Amino acid sequence: MSKPHEPDNIEPPDTDLDLDTNADTDLGTEPIDAVGRLRVLIAGIPGARIVEGIVDAPFADVWAVMGDLEHGFGRFQPDMRHVRVLRRDGDRIEAHARSRYGMRARFDGVLRPGWCWLQSRFVIIGMAAVPEHGRTRVALTGGVRVPGRAAIVPVGATRELRRGLVRLGQAVEEG
Amino acid sequence: MITTVPKRGTEDRAAERRARGVALARAARRGDTLAMSDLLDHLIPYVTTICGPIALDARQDAVQETLVVVFRALRGLDEPEALYGWVRAIAVREAVRIARRAVRDVPTEWADPPAPGDPQLAADIDDVLARLSPEHRAVLVLRDVEGLDEQTAADLLGVPEGTVKSRLHRARAGFRRMWTA
Repeated sequence: MSKPHEPDNIEPPDTDLDLDTNADTDLGTEPIDAVGRLRVLIAGIPGARIVEGIVDAPFADVWAVMGDLEHGFGRFQPDMRHVRVLRRDGDRIEAHARSRYGMRARFDGVLRPGWCWLQSRFVIIGMAAVPEHGRTRVALTGGVRVPGRAAIVPVGATRELRRGLVRLGQAVEEG
Repeated sequence: MITTVPKRGTEDRAAERRARGVALARAARRGDTLAMSDLLDHLIPYVTTICGPIALDARQDAVQETLVVVFRALRGLDEPEALYGWVRAIAVREAVRIARRAVRDVPTEWADPPAPGDPQLAADIDDVLARLSPEHRAVLVLRDVEGLDEQTAADLLGVPEGTVKSRLHRARAGFRRMWTA
């Protein structure tokens, strides 16, 4: 039921087109949603790619996997199978991760419903999810960081993100 | 002798917010992507304040496209202290561009105001604003919302000061006329 659609956007979006957003004004809906935020952020990160897709499941079910860094995250990001949240302060988190290759990293970031942004010295991870007609639009970005810089090594990044999206759909389906 | 104690009012809070924005911009330019995420949260309300009254129904596109331009160019911002003026200029430009695109097929030029008795005249402020051109709305926002003087608004919009004056006059007069019709 949560079979993901093929990612419908595997390159940096043409940000002159097809952008939507959220607001705290009196003009109605929010001027920019979480997926839109992710599109904005990658515009400022050379090499960053974004993949988007629809998971055929309600937002709560999808975010239960995506937002659970210790138990759900590694189900669709195998390199991040061993994550331990060290500290939470509101939506700020500090986490420790160990990859399957044994590399360790300390992440700082933000985690709130529909939005996750984490950075370590060598890795950047961005996730967004928004409800869409009973299903969930999700977007993933990130990859190997150019150390200390707001830049991502683009080699293979899109492929890994697409795999992550497919695995996410499978993980949600499995419950 | 009466002494007045400075109170922490709206201006103080606004100054604090701006100082935080500048600090985030500095950190973002140094490559801190978490600061970029925080800066994005920080700028969204401000950009919405600018884009909303200009782009109206197209404000979501205007907000997002403004922010994309801002983040794409952030590394080139040599003076982070100028963050807000820089963002404001981009927001106005993008909002006018998006609004023009949105109304290309629906003429809303102000030279053709609705007749008295038109039910839309009783609509809310957004409807009245929608009858102004994007350029007139931009002038209203810069002068009456942002509080810029006419010369500064003219520089930002890339038009002569006289044009800003005439647009402002016509926008205000028309606004009053439609609002009270």
